[in-house]
Amino acid sequence: MNKTLVLILFCIGTFSLQAQTFSVSGTIVEAESGIPLPGVNIIVKNTSNGVVTDFDGNYTIDNVSAGDVLVYSYLGFLSQEITVEEGQEMIDISLQNDQEALDEVVVIGYGTQQRKDVTGAVSLVSNETIEELNPIKIEQALQGTAAGVNVTPSSGAPGAGININIRGIASNSENGPLVLIDGYQGDLNTINPNDIESISILKDAQAAIYGIAGANGVVLITTKSGKKNSAPTIQYDTYVGMQETSRKLPLLNATEYGLLLNESYANNGEELPFSDVSELGKGTDFQEEVFDTSPIINHNLTLSGGSEKVTYSFGVSHLDQEGIIGAEKSDFQRSTARFNVGVDISDEFKFTANSIYTSLNRRSINENGLGSVLFNALNIPPTFNRDQEDLDGRLGNEIINPLSQVENTFNDYNLNKFNGSFSLEYTPIEPLTFTSRIGYNLTNSKGKDFSPIIDYGPGKVFNNVRSTVNQNRINDNSYTYDLFGTYDNTFNDIHHITGTAGMTVIRNWGDGLYATGYDVPNNSWEFADISLTTGTNDGLNNSAYKYDIRKLSFFGRLQYDFKGKYFFSTMYRRDQTTRFSPQNRLGFFPSFTGGWILSEENFLEDSNVVSFLKLRGSFGILGNDEAGGAEFYRSLLDGEATYVLGGSLVNGTALGRIPNRNSGWEQAEKTNIGIDLRLLNNKIDISADVFREDRKDLLVAGIPVSGIFGGGAPGSGAPTINAGTTRNEGVEFAIKYKQNLGEDINFNIGYNATFLNNEVTEVNGTEFIPGGQFGVGQPQPARFQEGFPVGYFYGYKTDGIFQTQEEVDAHPSQESLGATAAPGDIRYVDINNDGVINTDDRTNIGDPIPDATMGLNLNFNIKNFDFTAYTYASLGNDMVRNYERNQPNVNRHAYYLNRWTGPGTSNEVPRVTTGATSNVAFSDFYVEDASYVRIQNIQLGYSLPETFLEQVGINRLRIYASVQNLYTFTDYKGFDPSASTGEAIGGGIDYGFYPVPRIFLAGLNLNF
Amino acid sequence: MKRYNNILKTMLPVLLLGFSFSCSENYLEETEEYNIDSENYFNSEEDYYNALIGVYDVLQSTYVNVLLGEIASDNTLSGGESANDVIGFQQVDEMTHTPVNDNLDDVWDWNFAGVQRANYMLEFQDKTEFEGRETIIAEVRFLRAYFTFELLKWFGPIPLKGDERFALGDETSIPRASEEEVYAQIESDLQFAIDNLDYTAPEIGRATKGAAMALLGKTHLYQEEFDESANVLTELINNGPYALADFETLFEQEGENNEESVFEVQYTGEEGAGFGCLQCSEGNVAVGFQGIRNYSGPVFESGFSFNLPTRETYDMFSEDDIRRDLSVLDIEAWAAETGATYAEGYKHTGYFNRKYLPRENDNVGDANLTQPNNYRAIRYADVLLMAAEALNRGGIDDSQARNYLNEVRERADLDEVDASGNALTEAIYDERRKELVGEGHRFFDLIRTGRAANNIDGFTTGKNELFPIPLEEIEFSQGNWEQNPGY
Repeated sequence: MNKTLVLILFCIGTFSLQAQTFSVSGTIVEAESGIPLPGVNIIVKNTSNGVVTDFDGNYTIDNVSAGDVLVYSYLGFLSQEITVEEGQEMIDISLQNDQEALDEVVVIGYGTQQRKDVTGAVSLVSNETIEELNPIKIEQALQGTAAGVNVTPSSGAPGAGININIRGIASNSENGPLVLIDGYQGDLNTINPNDIESISILKDAQAAIYGIAGANGVVLITTKSGKKNSAPTIQYDTYVGMQETSRKLPLLNATEYGLLLNESYANNGEELPFSDVSELGKGTDFQEEVFDTSPIINHNLTLSGGSEKVTYSFGVSHLDQEGIIGAEKSDFQRSTARFNVGVDISDEFKFTANSIYTSLNRRSINENGLGSVLFNALNIPPTFNRDQEDLDGRLGNEIINPLSQVENTFNDYNLNKFNGSFSLEYTPIEPLTFTSRIGYNLTNSKGKDFSPIIDYGPGKVFNNVRSTVNQNRINDNSYTYDLFGTYDNTFNDIHHITGTAGMTVIRNWGDGLYATGYDVPNNSWEFADISLTTGTNDGLNNSAYKYDIRKLSFFGRLQYDFKGKYFFSTMYRRDQTTRFSPQNRLGFFPSFTGGWILSEENFLEDSNVVSFLKLRGSFGILGNDEAGGAEFYRSLLDGEATYVLGGSLVNGTALGRIPNRNSGWEQAEKTNIGIDLRLLNNKIDISADVFREDRKDLLVAGIPVSGIFGGGAPGSGAPTINAGTTRNEGVEFAIKYKQNLGEDINFNIGYNATFLNNEVTEVNGTEFIPGGQFGVGQPQPARFQEGFPVGYFYGYKTDGIFQTQEEVDAHPSQESLGATAAPGDIRYVDINNDGVINTDDRTNIGDPIPDATMGLNLNFNIKNFDFTAYTYASLGNDMVRNYERNQPNVNRHAYYLNRWTGPGTSNEVPRVTTGATSNVAFSDFYVEDASYVRIQNIQLGYSLPETFLEQVGINRLRIYASVQNLYTFTDYKGFDPSASTGEAIGGGIDYGFYPVPRIFLAGLNLNF
Repeated sequence: MKRYNNILKTMLPVLLLGFSFSCSENYLEETEEYNIDSENYFNSEEDYYNALIGVYDVLQSTYVNVLLGEIASDNTLSGGESANDVIGFQQVDEMTHTPVNDNLDDVWDWNFAGVQRANYMLEFQDKTEFEGRETIIAEVRFLRAYFTFELLKWFGPIPLKGDERFALGDETSIPRASEEEVYAQIESDLQFAIDNLDYTAPEIGRATKGAAMALLGKTHLYQEEFDESANVLTELINNGPYALADFETLFEQEGENNEESVFEVQYTGEEGAGFGCLQCSEGNVAVGFQGIRNYSGPVFESGFSFNLPTRETYDMFSEDDIRRDLSVLDIEAWAAETGATYAEGYKHTGYFNRKYLPRENDNVGDANLTQPNNYRAIRYADVLLMAAEALNRGGIDDSQARNYLNEVRERADLDEVDASGNALTEAIYDERRKELVGEGHRFFDLIRTGRAANNIDGFTTGKNELFPIPLEEIEFSQGNWEQNPGY
């Protein structure tokens, strides 16, 4: 159909009429400097007759009649209109810099808008910010730079995923925003930050144009393109750096460990394990052993430019990052190649094409779980040698030597991806433009992991008696086809109308194939491929899946403003998605926004203080259909049916997940009221927003239902039901201040903050939904429950340590928690005052959602030197300390040096004993305030003087040094207070998160 | 001219947009996907056979019934790593369990999953005709009876829906059927199975006529219907192909599916498993759970040291009872003899459930969860003892009862018993405990004979005869199901 459109459009001839006309030419310069301006648009008002200036600022426009109005416009400058008089053939213009800089263009979805006209809550991140932050992955550039956007790494491992949520956690399943790259569905995970021109983040009902996909907010990415009438420029950026862990935990050394163990055995009346502690010395520092200092290197090369009709931009990049743990086994490589070409085929047709090829390679180690490398490094006693295994089974079933674990880790992941778009714009008459574009993603990935035959000691869960290699191939594809028209016109100079209407078709489809090979030759990674394995196995050794999700949408948007002062817009989207049953797949999403620019009114127009003041508000209904897999309304036969008959495994058929025919999308009602204020000749720029979102009909995947439906069967599971409501409300505030202190000295400083309140307001069908893991065999610690924040921690409240037996006797019995209390044990609060401590005394003891996040960013230029500093703070987020294995012989964190050893010795840390205690029950002893302030990035750059560079034909050469994650201020005891698994229920539980690395970089930027 | 041209140029894309609107609804119907779903299945014999495997599969999850049933009894203590290791087990051991207990919830969920899978097949039992369909349906009904009987033993009255799957909403409308109704369904299922199955199964592991008869005898015994019980059990003893096997190897790999096996839940160590889905394991999870903690030595493999026999359990055997050291492992003596090492876990007693300890084998990981030991769900010795009990307690034939009892004693190298009447009853009870220790029967035997309160510490009469309905089930039912008394 796309093809048909193009053909038909091409077939239509263009006719023009001759009249009494002449040509006008001239030169256009920048008013302040007198430098010629290339690329300025000159157009005869209310016609499609227009030209642009050449490299020297010259232009000639034909077919001008006396009385025509010429409009001179250029991005970042005030437009000028000149009425042509009879015979006036030379018009030179000097354009004034637009001091207000308000006509920054903001991408708002199916169109753009001048920033000053925007009535929704939209944050912008420019390529300058990206350059200053030098992020390895683009998500990092959103942390602390855009108010309301919370970024949490799942790990500091190279290439690890990063979670983003906009204005809080509303859903208990998918909270990541919709990401669109140049209009089509994409993802942030694979993109090269250097390819990005700008990022727009739609945070409120402004995103309602995306209907069923917009509720989590929308991130719109514009990739780099060339500029018209600009000479070819080559830009080369590179950096090299060293990475080290940003943190090591203070642990007991061998002597301290020996003493502690003796004490804990003695406390239980057992024989002392170490008869002579003095021999132990410091022992092995396993953190020292597992952490490495490892390199990172990055190259970027871009060529861009443009003529009057054609723009082009090409880029290639390569990144190579090694891990700071098990450097020889964990790394990340990303290579990209990109082009973007724009062609003005005629006055009426514009064509753009762009494409990005990405190749990723990643190897990783076992992370953030019971028995992960760091978990083991923290728990293995320092009395062990580097290469000693736990052959006596002293450390339980999970803890093994982390160094052997790394040594026996073998995996490889590779992803190849093509994405891009083709777009044709057709402007039949000046105010009307049609856009037809198709964006595509073709991704294939393969993964392999090899488990060698290995014996870490008796009973270890990681022991493997038969070598296996698992391999997978996954294809993920999508296209996004848009067809829409935009009508933009002003009537009587006061009524400005922009109307947009069109349709979008999205298809996501793909498949995956998994297989296992047994008995790898030589028990070696070199031979670890299914093609070489010979072993057989009765079980099902392969599996596969396939999906196909389609969406069909129609939308419209009407924007109106009166005299550029009063703004109103309305959006409406009709979505259909195959994620739901045919009876239940049609939805409508309306929204409204409005604004009033007070500074255009008489009473403020001449104010010396207020340069700009706008009030704006929005309300809309948006959806989220991303919870769970596709088609949870059907009852598929994909349950597990494996039994042993005649001594062999046989496979059959069984019911899969319990279906729910009535499922529908989540519905968000978003309200936003905001103010934009600029003061003192735009030196101070303030934005503030108050927002509220009520997310209804939460698609609760795996909501508990009665066991009679068979959800407990292998391969079955609970249905997905619309069964909850959450409310997120908060305040966002951003302020920027910029000042020129002299000719070559200027600085700007920016601060933004988000305060958020999150609450579950309704859960249907069940009292709560549990999540997360704590310890071994303990109840799930996190909950989704009415009246509490999403994923709050549910456990016992503590009240210090019992100092004496009298105190124990005076307190309600804690026996039902596992053991009778003794002096030195944790005292739990009898929440319900029933005279006994039991499971009913559990309560809210924290949540992983920060109350406030903020960024403070500083930029300082003196002559050729530039300095930037980005800091980020997260306040009020709690984290569960879950990296301590509750086992008698493991090593401990150094805070155990301050344990209770007798009355008055400690009121925080309980006694140690190998006997049964109730101290291991999940309580606020294990929940820590993980608030932190992090110096994310500090960079000092020096640009070589132009006079020197011109001689060697270089436009710009800048060298810089920077440190990422320089320091983190926090009271949290673990590796990284910023990390989270990203789960709505069960996030913020720390099994020993892989810390973000501290990176020392040196780099250069070179332009020809 | 120009104006018309503009209108034309403008209208064309608009028309196209309208056109695409009308033709694109089909787009959503054309998705590529797998077309088989639950409602269009059962089109061939193969479909029925495949679905039957799905019902058998759920048997493997009944490991928890065995393990937790044994922990509940006076035979064993909970054990594990610490007082907080699998709290649900610890509470049942102490008889402090409440309606909030993940492991009791597992018993409910997994056995109902078996019922649901069986009912899915029965819902479509008449869809496709083929030779041998009755056999498959008979097996399905045996399995439904097996799961339903388990649910009845643990929870008492339960909701029934006949030959149909439970659907969302039934939890608030279908009441808990009375014990009589539940027994009636079980008995009718088993009678159908007896009528349509042979003593030998087409494949080892599938249900037989003998299994259905034994289970029917057992359900009658539970209802103290001694005549019916004695009838079906003696018929089975007289006509069935079963015999007592060598006790020495009975619980070893070579003793699996032997002549003593009436019904056996099949396990294998050939497929890996994880803690995320214990019921998905093809191995016997209970075996790894009761293995010796951090064991290193001959014959056995390591495990999590749950379900520890007490010293009293060990001591109830006489010295010359060959079953003592084959049923209960004295770990200190064993370590002294073989040089094996191990760690002591919570409530360490010095004894382990040797019948179901992990034996050395090359099962794949996680090795603790994939032990291949089959669970001997119904043994011929059990049948003999049940028959003896029915004959004796029903006042039918003490002499025959003694014969059956002495058959079991003889195999254990013990002298014949000469008692009759109540003394014989006591002797049968005593023998039953010794013969079946570690196999998950003891708790329910104590309950059905009213002896639990005298034998189990912490047992509350009028309450602990049944386990509580899981709290969330009570909540899901919105008042439709009442909690069991005392909870």
